[in-house]
Amino acid sequence: MTARARIEEVVTETVLDILPGLDKDRVRGRAHLRDLGADSVDRVEIIVGLLDRLAIQEPLASFADLPDIDALTDLLHELLDERSGR
Amino acid sequence: MTAHDPHDTPAAVPAGEGVPVPRFGIEALNVHCGVARIPVPALFAGRGLDLARLANVMMNNKSVALPCEDPVTHAVNAARPLIDRMTPAGREAIELLVTSTESGIDYSKSVASYVHEYLGLSRHCRVLEVKQACYGATAALQLAAAHIASGLSPGAKALVIGTDVSLVDEGAQYTEPAMGTGAAALVIGDDPRVLALDPGAFGTYSYETFDSARPGPTFDVADADRSLFAYLDCLSGSFGAYAERVEGADFATTFDHLAMHTPFAGLVRAAHRKMLRESSGVRSPEAVEEDFDRRVAPALAYPREVGNLCSGSLYLALAGLLETARPRPGDRVGLFSYGSGCASEFYSGVVDARAQREVAALGIGRSLAARSELTFEEYTELLGETRSCLVPERERRIDVDRYVPLLDSFTKERELLLHTGIDGFHRTYTWHSADRPAGR
Repeated sequence: MTARARIEEVVTETVLDILPGLDKDRVRGRAHLRDLGADSVDRVEIIVGLLDRLAIQEPLASFADLPDIDALTDLLHELLDERSGR
Repeated sequence: MTAHDPHDTPAAVPAGEGVPVPRFGIEALNVHCGVARIPVPALFAGRGLDLARLANVMMNNKSVALPCEDPVTHAVNAARPLIDRMTPAGREAIELLVTSTESGIDYSKSVASYVHEYLGLSRHCRVLEVKQACYGATAALQLAAAHIASGLSPGAKALVIGTDVSLVDEGAQYTEPAMGTGAAALVIGDDPRVLALDPGAFGTYSYETFDSARPGPTFDVADADRSLFAYLDCLSGSFGAYAERVEGADFATTFDHLAMHTPFAGLVRAAHRKMLRESSGVRSPEAVEEDFDRRVAPALAYPREVGNLCSGSLYLALAGLLETARPRPGDRVGLFSYGSGCASEFYSGVVDARAQREVAALGIGRSLAARSELTFEEYTELLGETRSCLVPERERRIDVDRYVPLLDSFTKERELLLHTGIDGFHRTYTWHSADRPAGR
């Protein structure tokens, strides 16, 4: 599994943790967390949960402008890359 | 820590051999959150908001201002009971008045100038206003406390008042039910009967961001994600700075209680969970919930009944903690203040043996319970007028008599200051009580 695919999986798991009952196929691509029914506290919990699971230390402010799940996944991928020094 | 010797403070200021650590902090505290409220479920229903979201908003009631209330009346009505309990000499000792507001009424003339007049403070009192969104009152408290601790004016007191009104309507969607109105007033001095500050124990964290703002007198702009994320980053950052100054500080064990700026209670719950996880490694949902119920929930009791008090929010939280949880003398409280834009501070203090009596004497919970309940229709009818409260006009008349029935439960026991209009750009006010009605 590529690193990005693993992150996609973690994103899906984390979102479903906070929004149980959501169809997992909806957690992808151009959808914003808001479109999936996540309110502002859910969005906090999702980002905090992702950073925790992926052991990334990053200010939440970096996640304030992301347009969709793809952009979120890309940013996490970038942050993990930075950490491994690639 | 569980039992504390108040002198065993996590002070960052080393006391010299034989030199006593100065005692200073909050001598008295009162909040006034208007005379009317709307139940949050009724507002949700009226606006057609999704009731499922109430679980994360965690709000019961929202304080609503009447057209005869504004940042000046809120501030004066919060502080007046504190002033009334002082001796003439005590009132003379108030050498500094600071109002903190994001609800300014003039680019030059401060809310403080009116407050100074209607409280009848000394002409030798230093008067000013500060602006730093919801953080301003904490900045003022810290600067006032430092002035008092300096010993430059022995026996001096400071009066710090955070006062704000809400401008939101249906355009703010889920923020509308969360925005409160009112003021918190604090007397700062060297006899901290409510909360003795831990000397030098603070951490600050600030940076420029456009998370929410009030560019004009009639509207706010807000970016929910940016705002919540900044709040949480600031809590981590300011507590980190606190822990660097205070050796051995631990989020999970150093504080018996936590009081935080409360935009809405659900955010504080999320913030507490995040901090336990990242700074103390506490992860089990049961342990987090037990800790929340014990150390955090009491400080949410009043914010859940009022909404975001902005500048006064943290001190409304502290008042609720002191009145509902009855902390033991010597208990340590961790306090977090956040203001959009953004600026923040984490600091701590120790509950005084006299705090119970001091706070109980003001009957804050009783005042919240005495607010008149508005229907959704009554609330929306008021909005047009109350949302123009900060707009500068040459002339304005406010028909105070229309609102007298809503004031009754308050004015049988005390006088309230009411806003009666504007005369040549000068705002006008009158005292009103059941036996001395306004304008008679």
